Amino acid sequence: MSDPIPPGTLDMLILQTLARLEELHGFEIADAIQRTSAGVLQVEEGSLYPALQRMLMKGWLSAEWGKTRDNRRARYYRLTAAGRRQLTRERESYQRVTFAIAQILQLAPE
Amino acid sequence: MTTVRGFLRRLWYFVRRDQYLSELEEEMRLHAELRAEAMHGAGMSADEARTAARKRFGNATVIAETSRDTWGLGTLDQLVQDIRFAARRLRARPGFSVPVMAVLALGIGATTAVFSAVDAAMLRSLPFPREHELVSLPMVAVPFEPELGERSLGRQLDISDVAVMAGVFSSPASYASGGLNLSDPDRPLRVKAGVVTASFFATLGVTPLSGRTFTAEEGKPRGPLATILSYGLWQRHFGGAPMLGKPITLHGRPYTVVGIMRPGFVFPDESDLWVALPVPTTFETFEPFRGYLPSHVIARIRPGVSTESAAAQVLARWQQVAEPARGERHDDLNGVIREVRRVGAAVPLHRELLGDRRRALLVLLGTTALLMIIACANVANLLLSDGAVRRREITLREVLGATRPRIMRQLLAESLLLAFSSACLGLLLAPAALRVVRAMMPQSLAAIAPVQLDLRVLVFAAALAIATSILFGLWPAIGATRGGDATIIIKSGGGHGASAGLGRARRGLVVVEVALTVMLLIAAGLMLRSFQRLMAEKTGMNPDQVATLETSFPSSTPGVEQRRIIDGVVDRLSRQRGVIAAGAVNDLPLRGGGGISVAINVPGAQPLDHGEPRFARFLFASGGYFDALGIAKLRGRTFSPRDATGPQVAVISAAMAEQFWPGVDPLGRYFTFRPDTTPITVIGVVADVRESALDTPPWPQMYRPIDLGSQNVAIVVRGTLPARALTATLTDAMHAVAPGQPVYNVRMMEQVVGASVLPRRTNTALIALFAGLALVLSALGVYAVVAYAVAYRTRELGIRAALGATGRDLLTLVSREMIGVIAFGIVAGLAGAWALSRVLSSLLYDVNPRDPATFIVVPLLLLLPAVVATLIPALRAARVDPTRVMRAD
Repeated sequence: MSDPIPPGTLDMLILQTLARLEELHGFEIADAIQRTSAGVLQVEEGSLYPALQRMLMKGWLSAEWGKTRDNRRARYYRLTAAGRRQLTRERESYQRVTFAIAQILQLAPE
Repeated sequence: MTTVRGFLRRLWYFVRRDQYLSELEEEMRLHAELRAEAMHGAGMSADEARTAARKRFGNATVIAETSRDTWGLGTLDQLVQDIRFAARRLRARPGFSVPVMAVLALGIGATTAVFSAVDAAMLRSLPFPREHELVSLPMVAVPFEPELGERSLGRQLDISDVAVMAGVFSSPASYASGGLNLSDPDRPLRVKAGVVTASFFATLGVTPLSGRTFTAEEGKPRGPLATILSYGLWQRHFGGAPMLGKPITLHGRPYTVVGIMRPGFVFPDESDLWVALPVPTTFETFEPFRGYLPSHVIARIRPGVSTESAAAQVLARWQQVAEPARGERHDDLNGVIREVRRVGAAVPLHRELLGDRRRALLVLLGTTALLMIIACANVANLLLSDGAVRRREITLREVLGATRPRIMRQLLAESLLLAFSSACLGLLLAPAALRVVRAMMPQSLAAIAPVQLDLRVLVFAAALAIATSILFGLWPAIGATRGGDATIIIKSGGGHGASAGLGRARRGLVVVEVALTVMLLIAAGLMLRSFQRLMAEKTGMNPDQVATLETSFPSSTPGVEQRRIIDGVVDRLSRQRGVIAAGAVNDLPLRGGGGISVAINVPGAQPLDHGEPRFARFLFASGGYFDALGIAKLRGRTFSPRDATGPQVAVISAAMAEQFWPGVDPLGRYFTFRPDTTPITVIGVVADVRESALDTPPWPQMYRPIDLGSQNVAIVVRGTLPARALTATLTDAMHAVAPGQPVYNVRMMEQVVGASVLPRRTNTALIALFAGLALVLSALGVYAVVAYAVAYRTRELGIRAALGATGRDLLTLVSREMIGVIAFGIVAGLAGAWALSRVLSSLLYDVNPRDPATFIVVPLLLLLPAVVATLIPALRAARVDPTRVMRAD
């Protein structure tokens, strides 16, 4: 059973995935996240599309209609410069927080 | 930057929302298909895979909606929905929305119109560069030529003294305003002339459209005669033809046109053209203007000098420079200086032009504000009733999942819609209201600050609409959404014991309405009483059935010719059918021009303190004038044709007889003009005539035969003909005797009197109108509250009736509380009016601002409709039929 995505990290995961794989449509993004996390993280469709719309509004992503390999119409998302900057910011803050949590966990009783 | 871009992106999405929505759906459909295919590939049957994929996807509509919310269109979308919803609701309840809109439209229309006048007169700056530097210097004179200005008349501060104060002021200037005849073979014309010093235009900071302003040479006594045309006159009369360097004839003298001013510049008054006011002034300058040309001195304050310090320095200068007239002591001068201190030695020009109309405008604005508050209170009351009725509906919606902010927003959308549609209706009324309000504008500002509906006023109306909708709408909205719970739905709409009374909010609103209405009614009562007193004052004449016209002769017209024209016209008129009497005078009473008084000696009379001279108003009249205007002849006789050439004679007024010859028969007595010694014999006494203003008691007046020569003449004719025919007879006679002579101000004497009281009449009428509206609104408010209470308590009243309460008991029960509330409001209003009585006092005439009669009558005036408004619905309570009430539930 895969875990749901921890709250607040979905944006970062989408940004990171697009940074790595350049151009994907919605299903591919969900698929890529699940696959890359070795099946641990599963993107809810119910939150993926609102998240994509939100990131479009913020100007982090750009979108363009294209064709899939089997010639079906799909909307492909790309990272914008603002999206790239946002990814850096989110990664930094995420690492700070996880580092801090890890430290606290180290002090926990055996 | 990013927010701007973000907003634009949102807007773009909003506009194209249908396309984006379908794209989103397509995208999600693909996703579900791909998911199903993946599951199918993993071994599920095709059908199973599709179902599982769809299940996993969840509710596509909800996702689409959530996504759409991220576009930020939600609020905008909802707003559109809210407004549509509100419009539907308002249309569905005309019984509620029509009265509300009518009340608000009246309030907003009236307030907007009055605001536009206040805005034009007080808030807007004068259309001159750096207008805040411009000050008026009251009582500072323009000196007469030394050989003519007698030192014996003393010395006042004059414009040359101001010029010396270079550290305080720059470029002092002076202006006056008067009428001149513009000769033209085809169209003789009377024009308004600004008589201004050469520095005038530079001081104001205005430049001509073409040509130039006056040179220093033209600003000297007997300098070259030059004139500057206003754009309006240039276009109207000269058809915009090239005029620079061309001569025109003003009052029989040739002037060269040296400049044309820009469109819109007509200061002072509504000048058609400008001629030079020489410094020092000469008698020739005054001659065309009835010898009377009150001039105003203005200057610019140097940057960094405050008006107060400038005023203090001018006052100090007054004390240094001023000298008493010969024969007076220095003490007498203190009177002049006291007066300067009272009016202010240096006053901002804007303030000076506004004059005493400032107070009247502010009071009027305050009155409309009160009316507006009453209107708002009324509408709030209606909404409160409505809100209580709607409570069930609102609670139902809450239970169905509408959020509280959303419901409040809906209620506010309704208020806003009401306010804005009322504002639009109100603005339809505004043009008519504007015409009325224009009468309140000070004459000196009318032309440079026109009252109009422009963007500023529209913005004000919109702001007013928003403010009122919040004022009357928010409160009920909060009340309606507070403490809503499902039990309200379950309970049926009967009376709940807890809110059986009138409700504190509604009681408060009624108190406010009643109190403010009392204040307005008292203000209106005092103004009406003043006006009534004023109109009841004896004017000393009878203006009914009297037609007048005015004309003016240039000094080049020989005296013989003037006499021929005046006598000819009067003779001709007297012989006409339907004419009772005709005569001529140099200056009509209440015409508003001001006039001259002269110092006279009365041999044998008790000398006044400090040897002060006696002054009398100096007029010229023909023998028929007194009959024509209906001025009572008390003793002796009036003029005959012989009086122009024989010994010097005068007709005097009753006040002059009483003051100069107390207890003595003045007939046959004589006086002299100071310092002349020729005796002038009194041949008759006539009634006093109020001539400067209706509210100013008449001075001693003295008439001399008009045949002695007067450049300005008004012909007066009394007849039995209708007004139109009478004025036609008058102008025809004038035209027959002197075809080339321009005439102006052809009007009935009643119009002259009416014009002199127009601002006061308008002010009184408006305040009375507003008070009347307030009365109606308050009565409606009282009615609505009681009617609502009765409807709300029907069940309870029915039970009481079933238990044996009589109709009278029920009537008392319902109305007692309201009568108490009304009484409280009346007392509060009386107290408020008492406290604010000083505000009105300067607008009143011969009426105490705490006039007992008004303070007694007004509460009765209000009590009657208020009690009726209470009783009508209360009687309904008394007739409650217990069986029907019980069955209804």
